[in-house]
Amino acid sequence: MQSAAKTRLYYGSLWLIAIVFFLPILWIALASFKTNSDILNIPPSIIFLPTFEQYAKTIFGTGEGVSNTIAYFRNSLILSIGSVLMAIIVSFLAAYAFSRYKPKATNFLMFLMLSTRMVPASASIIPVFQMFNAFDIILHHAGLLDKDTTFFRGFPGVFMLYTMFSVPFSLWILKGFIDGVSQRYDETGYVNGASRLHVIFKVVLPQVRPGLIAAFIFNLIFVWNEFLFNFILGSTKTNTQMIPYALAVGLVDSGGNLNWGYIASLSVLYVLLPMVMIFVFQRYLLVGMTFGTVRGEV
Amino acid sequence: MSAASLADRPAVVARRSGLHTFEQSRAFSLALLAPILIFFVILNVIPTLWMIGFSFYRYNLQSPTAPRLAYSVTEKGILTQLPLDNFVKIFNDIDLWNAFGRTFWFVLLAVVIQVVLGVLLGFLFWGSAKMPGRRVALTMLFTPMVITPVASGLFWRLMYEPTFGVINFLITVFGGQKIDFLTNNNWAFPAVLFVDIWMWTPFMILMTLAALGSVPKAELEAAEVDRMSFFKRLWYVILPHGKFILMLGILLRTIDAFKTTDLVFLMTKGGPGNVTDLIGLRLYRFAFDSLNIGFSSALALVLLMIAIAFTSAYLWVLNLRRRSEQST
Repeated sequence: MQSAAKTRLYYGSLWLIAIVFFLPILWIALASFKTNSDILNIPPSIIFLPTFEQYAKTIFGTGEGVSNTIAYFRNSLILSIGSVLMAIIVSFLAAYAFSRYKPKATNFLMFLMLSTRMVPASASIIPVFQMFNAFDIILHHAGLLDKDTTFFRGFPGVFMLYTMFSVPFSLWILKGFIDGVSQRYDETGYVNGASRLHVIFKVVLPQVRPGLIAAFIFNLIFVWNEFLFNFILGSTKTNTQMIPYALAVGLVDSGGNLNWGYIASLSVLYVLLPMVMIFVFQRYLLVGMTFGTVRGEV
Repeated sequence: MSAASLADRPAVVARRSGLHTFEQSRAFSLALLAPILIFFVILNVIPTLWMIGFSFYRYNLQSPTAPRLAYSVTEKGILTQLPLDNFVKIFNDIDLWNAFGRTFWFVLLAVVIQVVLGVLLGFLFWGSAKMPGRRVALTMLFTPMVITPVASGLFWRLMYEPTFGVINFLITVFGGQKIDFLTNNNWAFPAVLFVDIWMWTPFMILMTLAALGSVPKAELEAAEVDRMSFFKRLWYVILPHGKFILMLGILLRTIDAFKTTDLVFLMTKGGPGNVTDLIGLRLYRFAFDSLNIGFSSALALVLLMIAIAFTSAYLWVLNLRRRSEQST
């Protein structure tokens, strides 16, 4: 059975590669089950009595050095799910129009949309930050908004920003999928007396479900992971700070100590969502990581 | 059938079936496009115009003077300074050139190493279709690229830690001297680069698998029957089909590596000195630490141009691929 042994060796080495790439995450997961002093042990302890102390402190703790984790999670979930759903709705309608009516500006607009995602985040946030501030001042002056409340610098502004952040990819992927649905389906619908809206939602929509799922999953991951926009625009007052923000500012607690236990437990809770997503929806990974431009499975 | 006649067809069919006039009108397609255009105008077009406007201004939030145009006109109507003052400053700023250079090296090294590693490992994973637990293994392999750079930056900071970090522990076990990677002038850049390679090599593995998957099975079997050597197979069978996806992968990686900001922000904040100060982070600091809005708008505009150039290249490859698929 020489070839069986060879196969086993081959699979074994592939597993080894996968585990090597996973090691840093495993290491932080291990740390999250240690006590604060165990994390600082030299030599680093691999065998130890696991404790859920860090998780309890991170999730339920209030007071010194621990921030409001549940609120961060709530903000992250609301902002990412809400804005991605919004983006998919507007992108689906637009993708249908681009695919079927082929307006003259189609290629140009698709190009512009894609290029907005290729700019460094710090470049695209500068004018948005200026503009949001100015818009709010205008609204205050016009008396449309209370002095203490914010609109663009508040939840609606951040929500819109993330919607636009998710639009290019949704549009690209959905246009690709709708292009793949033969126009004969539309025609059959019309000949049978269906309205255009019926054709859009009852004939085309069900056929692009994989595209909708991929757009949803991967935009969710991208918004879930987004940091710089959130760091600049987010605030506790308007419930717009997300978990990456909490991670970025949480390392040093109010006493000036490094709080690795908090970071470890929070980041483990945080990476669960992307990991579960790519486990369950692995067949969409390729289309998801290439803005919908490359289709296929791995 | 030509594209034009295809485009007319829904309308023709619609007329024949007696659809409601609004639904077959141009207005209907505009109504479908309206929501996305509103978002696009408010969040992309206006900010970009805003940015273009500010790039001609001297505008610093820290200085008490109001924003003013970057050029001044004397009483006789002579320009004393160029309107493009901010751009001239960018051109003359040696620090900025260094940041661009650093970014260039970062992108080049990261992409080359990721492509080489990714292609090799991708070939290795090619025959793994029947591997037990493949899904779990691939999830573990691909996790680094779907977690936020903030988290991965922190993970590696924990491991690079000079006193209790596991990497330094291993170094001392093998008899080496402890290195404080992230504050050491020689080590900080490679340390950050290494994290980027860890994060994104899986992406190139993914793209390699996709490229290999795009090669028709029949051609591979024919090559097998012909007993072609591996390199011949690579050159005549795999590359003609797989090269486009690979090129798209390389381009996407180049763009993403060029954008790197979060990772260095979290790991080193550009330090020690300037050794990890990539252009994205530098821009962030001009805008939000020095609050120099005029200058950073101009710089952001330059980066926008670079992004547009990258996007054009990407679409060019995409078109090449479409054309080659149509011709076969």
